[in-house]
Amino acid sequence: MVRRGPGRAAQVAGGLLAASLATALQYRSDFWMEMLTGLSRSLLAFGPVWLVFSHRETVLGWSADDTVLVLGLYLLVHALLAGFVEPNLGAVVESIRAGTLDFVLLKPADAQLLVSVRRLAVGRLIDVPLALGVIAWALAQRELPSGSDVLVALVLLVSGLVAMYSLWLLAICTSFWFVRVDNLRFLLWSMVDAGRWPLPVFTPWVRWFLTVAVPIGVVTTFPALALRGEWDARLLGLGIAVGIAFAVGSRWAWRRSLAAYTSASS
Amino acid sequence: MIELSELVKIYRVPVKSPGLWASVRSVFSREYTEVRAVDGISFTVEPGERVGFLGPNGAGKTTTLKMLTGLLHPTSGSCSVAGHRPRERAPEFLRDVTLVMGQKQQLLWDLPPTETFLLNRALFDLDRREWQDTVDELVELLDLAEVVNRPARNLSLGQRMRCELVAALLHRPRVLFLDEPTIGLDVKVQQQVRRFVRTYNERHGATVLLTSHDMDDVAALVDRIILIDKGRVRFDGGLRDFSERYGAGRRITVRGGLSVLGPLGFTAAEAGTCSATVPADEVNPLLQAVLARLPSADVSVNDPPLEDVLARAFGEQT
Repeated sequence: MVRRGPGRAAQVAGGLLAASLATALQYRSDFWMEMLTGLSRSLLAFGPVWLVFSHRETVLGWSADDTVLVLGLYLLVHALLAGFVEPNLGAVVESIRAGTLDFVLLKPADAQLLVSVRRLAVGRLIDVPLALGVIAWALAQRELPSGSDVLVALVLLVSGLVAMYSLWLLAICTSFWFVRVDNLRFLLWSMVDAGRWPLPVFTPWVRWFLTVAVPIGVVTTFPALALRGEWDARLLGLGIAVGIAFAVGSRWAWRRSLAAYTSASS
Repeated sequence: MIELSELVKIYRVPVKSPGLWASVRSVFSREYTEVRAVDGISFTVEPGERVGFLGPNGAGKTTTLKMLTGLLHPTSGSCSVAGHRPRERAPEFLRDVTLVMGQKQQLLWDLPPTETFLLNRALFDLDRREWQDTVDELVELLDLAEVVNRPARNLSLGQRMRCELVAALLHRPRVLFLDEPTIGLDVKVQQQVRRFVRTYNERHGATVLLTSHDMDDVAALVDRIILIDKGRVRFDGGLRDFSERYGAGRRITVRGGLSVLGPLGFTAAEAGTCSATVPADEVNPLLQAVLARLPSADVSVNDPPLEDVLARAFGEQT
């Protein structure tokens, strides 16, 4: 009898993470290279913010400190996407092409869980503490947020992360039909970059696009607004709704995709 | 244990005429054709049976195995394995089966095989003691104690394939689907793999469905053959029935004497012998003719080699 439930999922995820960590640590040079490129990229991200705010105090009500808070959240999401989501879901594309997804589907565990925690780019995850440091610095520049503000920010952050992971999964699902979806992933990354700026600086339709289509705004600007104490039930509800909609939609698409899986010839 | 009823799998495959203009046109409007990879296959395999599932390339063998393991969904018809519908991928079903593919590997490439074994322990939710006992048993049977702690990428193909078998059998499946398990291996490792599969089958009563183009695999491992071609079953029966049906008689082999026996239809065979294959009722007259010309000839009469039988069977089908 195979167990089910959260304990079983934790067992599967634990086994996969231990193996992926062991694999990642096999290549020390890759680790250092990933870490250096990730850190350089993160530090360079401050350039445009410095450039803008060296000329003016605020942009549409957002000060330099608030913008750095959004930037810190963007760096956090970027690190998690690059260190965790992209290596795993990117590997699915190769698995489909080579037919090795067969082995994933032969394991008595949820296939979506199996493909989502197989790999780690540990060097990229080093950006996570850097991002947390930037967020802490930005918060320290103003009155500290209340407990409820922090809680709402965390809920929005998690909901936004779920939405971004789901968006990647949706993109990967297309590879069951098209096999090569590299261009779609490049396009996603370039749209994710818009998340380094607060949503209000964009035109209304771009704001909506970055909330409901490529929901990077939900995971950067929404928590930043909550930490500034500028949240209401509508913002919280929208953030949660986007997370749930993406999670349900991507789960449905994943199941449909598996049913269409044709495997590779031997 | 395994039941298939009118199982069909149709693939939709894009077709394109040659030339640049056709390539440009295919970007906007693509034409498809339907390929019936499996076209109404029915058979039953009893628990503990060892069955060879044979056919030429493209006959539908691997597609059938993938439907039986739940990787592909049938277009129509039904199949059940160990009481489960494979397409539902129930955890209990996946605990009961395994698929070994000679051309694909599940070992973690950068890590020693022991790491894959550990990972499979978590994925199959195996009790630590049972898992350790199984690892010890399989590693000993396959003579792998020296290599399981080296990174998989540093192992030879034969060592990796044997480790693949361990990884595939850690959960002690009751049904083994083996898709060309000895492809590319040297003779010694092939024999080791065959011995191992046989031992596992006898020790655990596991059902084995094997596809292979290596007739030594078939001769050593299976008691029953299911021959398919163009997605349909063409023969289903015992190994001996198969030889009799497609073997077209018996093979008479004589040591030396080709120059004398050539006129009787003998041709040169391996290791200085010559041979002729004739229908069963012509064996005695031919033997008498041979002994009349070479009274002290060293003669043997056997079934023709399985390769010849299969080549003949494929020839009749295509």
